[in-house]
Amino acid sequence: MLISLTMIACSAASSVADTPLHKWVDMAVGMGSVGFENVAADDAGDAAFARRLYLDLTGMIPSAEQARRFLADRSTDKRARLIDQLLTSPQYARRMQYEFDTMLMERRPDKHIKSDEWRNYLRQSFAQNKPWDQLVSEMLTADGTDEKTRPAARFLLDREMKTDTMTRDLGRIFLGRDLQCAQCHDHPNIEGYLQRHYHGLAAFLNRSYLFTDPKSKQTSIGEKAEGAVKFTSVFTSESDETAPRLLDLPPIEDPPAAEEPYTVKPDKKVRSVPVYSRRLQLAAAMTDPANVAFRRNIANRLWALMMGRGIVEPLDMWHAENPPLRPALLDLLADTLADHDYDIRYLLRELALTKTYQQSSQYNGDAEDSDAAHFAVSMLKPLSPEQLAWSMMQATSLTETTLKDLKAKHLAAGTEDAEKQIDDPLWQEETLHNALKAHVDTFAGLFGVVGIQTSRFDASADQALFVRNGAALQSWIASGGGQLTSRLNMLQPPDLIDEFYFSVFSRPPAIGEIHFVTQFLEQQPDDRESAIRKLVWAALSSAEFRFNH
Amino acid sequence: MRRNQGCNPLEHEMARRRFLTSTVAGAAGIGLVDTHAQADQLKHQQKRILQVFLQGGVSQLESWDPKPGTVHGGPFQAIPTSVPGIHISELLPNIAQRMHLLSIVRSINIKINDHEQGRQFMEKGRRVGQFPYVGAVASKYLATPNSNLPGYVHVSSRGLSDVAGGAAFLGAKHGQLKLEGIKPPGNLSAPAGIDAVADASRDKLRLQFNQRFADRRSKAMTEAYDASYDQAAGLMERRAMFEGTASKKDLERYGTHDFGRYCLLARTLLENGAACVKVTHHGYDSHAENFNFHLEQLGEFDRPFCMLLDDLETRGMLESTLVVIYSEFGRTPKVNVRYGRDHWGTAWSIALGGCGIQPGAVIGSTNETGTEVADREVDASHLFHTYLQAVGLDSTAEHDLPGRSIPIGDPATESIQELLV
Amino acid sequence: MNADIADKNTIDRNLLDVTQSHQVAEFKHEIALTTLRVDPTDRFVAAGAEDPDVQLWELASSERRTLKGHKSWVRSIDFSADGNRMFTACWGGIVNVWDTSQSEPKPLRTIHAHKGAARFVRVSPDGQQLATCGNDLRVKVWNIGDGKIVHEFSGHERHVYGVSFHPDGTHLVSQDLMGGINVWDLQSGKHKQSIDGSVMTGYDKKFAADMGGSRDLQFKADGSQWASAGITKVTNSFAGVQDPIVVLFDWTTGKEIKQIKSDDNNVKGIAWGVRFHPDNFVITAVADRSGKGELWFYRPEEEKAFHTMKLPSAARGLDLLSDNLRVAVAHADGHARIYRMTAKRPADTTTPAKAAPETAK
Repeated sequence: MLISLTMIACSAASSVADTPLHKWVDMAVGMGSVGFENVAADDAGDAAFARRLYLDLTGMIPSAEQARRFLADRSTDKRARLIDQLLTSPQYARRMQYEFDTMLMERRPDKHIKSDEWRNYLRQSFAQNKPWDQLVSEMLTADGTDEKTRPAARFLLDREMKTDTMTRDLGRIFLGRDLQCAQCHDHPNIEGYLQRHYHGLAAFLNRSYLFTDPKSKQTSIGEKAEGAVKFTSVFTSESDETAPRLLDLPPIEDPPAAEEPYTVKPDKKVRSVPVYSRRLQLAAAMTDPANVAFRRNIANRLWALMMGRGIVEPLDMWHAENPPLRPALLDLLADTLADHDYDIRYLLRELALTKTYQQSSQYNGDAEDSDAAHFAVSMLKPLSPEQLAWSMMQATSLTETTLKDLKAKHLAAGTEDAEKQIDDPLWQEETLHNALKAHVDTFAGLFGVVGIQTSRFDASADQALFVRNGAALQSWIASGGGQLTSRLNMLQPPDLIDEFYFSVFSRPPAIGEIHFVTQFLEQQPDDRESAIRKLVWAALSSAEFRFNH
Repeated sequence: MRRNQGCNPLEHEMARRRFLTSTVAGAAGIGLVDTHAQADQLKHQQKRILQVFLQGGVSQLESWDPKPGTVHGGPFQAIPTSVPGIHISELLPNIAQRMHLLSIVRSINIKINDHEQGRQFMEKGRRVGQFPYVGAVASKYLATPNSNLPGYVHVSSRGLSDVAGGAAFLGAKHGQLKLEGIKPPGNLSAPAGIDAVADASRDKLRLQFNQRFADRRSKAMTEAYDASYDQAAGLMERRAMFEGTASKKDLERYGTHDFGRYCLLARTLLENGAACVKVTHHGYDSHAENFNFHLEQLGEFDRPFCMLLDDLETRGMLESTLVVIYSEFGRTPKVNVRYGRDHWGTAWSIALGGCGIQPGAVIGSTNETGTEVADREVDASHLFHTYLQAVGLDSTAEHDLPGRSIPIGDPATESIQELLV
Repeated sequence: MNADIADKNTIDRNLLDVTQSHQVAEFKHEIALTTLRVDPTDRFVAAGAEDPDVQLWELASSERRTLKGHKSWVRSIDFSADGNRMFTACWGGIVNVWDTSQSEPKPLRTIHAHKGAARFVRVSPDGQQLATCGNDLRVKVWNIGDGKIVHEFSGHERHVYGVSFHPDGTHLVSQDLMGGINVWDLQSGKHKQSIDGSVMTGYDKKFAADMGGSRDLQFKADGSQWASAGITKVTNSFAGVQDPIVVLFDWTTGKEIKQIKSDDNNVKGIAWGVRFHPDNFVITAVADRSGKGELWFYRPEEEKAFHTMKLPSAARGLDLLSDNLRVAVAHADGHARIYRMTAKRPADTTTPAKAAPETAK
């Protein structure tokens, strides 16, 4: 298998153009090799695929109707068509907004840039499929003075221009390396995390500072023309000095000092601007093809988004002793992504088309649990707080009833284009989002983690208490909230059970499940509506609902 | 003071080996689930931590390091304690009688005068970065596996924002469950219209769904998910624990004011298997009227705390419970124009005792006027090592996190050895 | 005669002009003062400080004596009518009796008056007894002659901050942290009346602590009213943000008559001193949280102060000299200053304490 991987890696680089990437990916994972096929899981099936894809690309489960329609479709290319359809939906841009906001800002509170403006910037960027290198360049270049590009400055400004925070997060989020421990000395336990890596990165930024305009109170990024980065190991007391540099790439030396080093001289009242800006070298250095870590990092993160774990895991701990599980696979993804101008939609499409992505999360036979790590079985992916909130609202039909009300209200308001507008998917997405945003925020507050994001799953008692007893979920389950309970209440088994399964689990019930639910309903004859509420609650709090599978 | 090199070659090598072991496990296994190796070692010992946080920064001069008659000494006297030679402020008469159960560290210099930064440093043992609080570490490595209580519980009358409940990368399960005083946690009661029978039947249904889903699927994450429901159910069953069940006799001893009730709740939580209970007593940030406020606050603190200490001792729990009384910093020796003392991280004290701690000791000292550490300077990272080693954890080891290499305590410092039993 | 019960006839109304009040003398100590008292014969200014010593200055010569004997900060001072005896109460619960005629006075008598701080001491109008109060929640009356206890009153539930004799000598008024005021009958030795002074306390919600108490307590010479100085309207008392207040109470009814508060609401801090002036106005000494101070001059029947005098440093104690033309103020910058409530005379120059020999500390 090692040999075949190497071969793939060699040939992939030269001939990706001929064969679609997703086929190369499956080969690189091991498809086709006997050893792999023996343990590999079956295809997930259309229902599981659709649910998975809706969650990954639109951030919520499909409605019962969408799930049924997909299953009823007899065409052979329906999976590819669904992928394309979802990737161009307004919900895709929202989903990417959530994911990248969490990845880039790690649920920090607002400081200098309103998060609404920042999120809108992200959403617009994904709606127009802005290349990743361009998006990163914008974030690392914007200084907050131009209203048009100001939201992009949030990555730096809301880290308060603190060199240590910015340096660490640049390393973690854009290079896949957590260099924090290399701040004071070469990392004690990780070979290859060197103090100069940390300080080379810091040198791009240590001259920049948070400037607050004394009149408008608006913050922006100022920069000095001097300031060197020296560092001393707390272990060895060895000192060194570094110009800006990215990991082991050559340092970027300052040009010869100009006679007048400033365009705008430092003063308490103005933002100083140097003739030569170290910070403005960062975007180009970061996205330069020579900086392999940049493309590997984003490829690894997009892989993890779709597959549930990175090829390097944790996503920000790439080093010699924590190598990629499939180095050739990661290089293949990284290089192809770069060749395609960092087209994120392209990579996600290709990943969604792989057999690896479309596998079942159920083992075959007696395959070992550990095979999941080798991508032979689909991993369970815990829903993000946003996915969980939207999916619960979708399952209980709160989304549907709310949208119906919003449409009616908009028509009643009598705006000129109202009739046309209410059928516009973008209008629908934005209007519904604004109406239900507060619920999503509640979930984000309870299920979200502020700070470093990990792929690890955790569940706490207060989350479970919220699902068990919290008012929000109860009201959605009640017949007056979402319409699911009242809809089910008007049906009889087996239609009731079929509708229930499609609404909550996006699939038809198995025979055994029809029996088990029928039995449950029969045991509670006196109050059918409360029995249905219990059924819906139990399904929403089940593992099948909590994880994307 | 001896300079601790932290990363000597031998320690490096050992850390590296530990790290390698965990990487291999991470690559071979599923890689995303805790292994609890350290917890397994300790579960039969059931050690725990009680933290009493005097929020705002208690004055060391009005508590553990009095300097009566000196220029910054303030108006209060020092009184002898049950340990010959140790004097503490007259504001702590009950603790003075129990000094033989506690020890004092008088030489803390954290070089921080900011509430939030000081608190973070005191909790995490690290100046910067996202690291778990002492309580979260205790929850991860000390919690008894079968306890339905969250491992780390914080009783406080008002909010202090603790990002992720102080769990950092240890995960939400180990974040603090914050109780607003003795009020039960939120969402603890089943919703209207769902009685115990209905609740049980819907929960049974949930488990039936889960059982079907578990078929031929990875269990690691689903089990963690199930466990959170068990914890929630455990809390619901113990609702009474949070509701005024204190006996009349207890209330007479502890007092009926908030802090007395918090201490009683802390006793209950510790007895029920919590790995770390933190009780916050607010109101020490005395930029004005420092002396009247310390009279009030320490007067309220001294007795209930001692009742709790007595109960832990008589119930045989003190030897397995580390007790720490701490703040985010101390207060300036210089008295300001408002009879206040300001923030002061430069030379201050904490007290601790119980599990693993040498009783009746005084570590370090400040100079005659209290303006500087005179001897055995330590900071919050030393204290962090000391707390964990006191409860039998190897704070120089690395966190049990596959694929990550994160030393539990700051590798550049070490515990206060002479304070440990 | 006690300075508090000054004779109206002694005022030279031709001279009195509060609006032109100005400093005429200054006595310097190295450490922030905590309280101050002028003896009824206007010979001495005595002050406590944030150290255990008592500073005793001769008004005329500025000569200073430093009296040693307390182990803690002196909180309250009083004098006998002839000025020959001084009584000092400290945070350590001790009340000392001194002979002011000695060149290096030592305590003539030491009374272990209270467990915890002794916060106030006052001499009875007949000069035979002392009233004290403190953190042991007790109000006590002592026989000066033998130092024996005469009365011990309990009833306060929180620290007792201030106590004073009614000018007729038959009753005591005391006030605690929560504004609880008790009137004690010295003839029967019993509690006579409880009065609500809770406007003078506040609960700081954020810090979960109470603040309040009478920081000065003074009867009008005719006994018809008493004044209590302290705080009200607690906002953030841990940073010193609350309003200084003086409340006047009617002796016969026990009812509040008037609240004296800052005119412009800019002053946040504590009122540490209050005196009735025989010319029918009330003087209040205030410490602002900034460290500056003010003197307020109010006529009870008027809403606003008729004069406010800015002070260079926070006031922590106030007394009126028996000429009724001068006040003495203890300051947080370690100075005791004398202010004269008249137009400046050519001869009025500030007397620095330079003449005072430095007593070894």
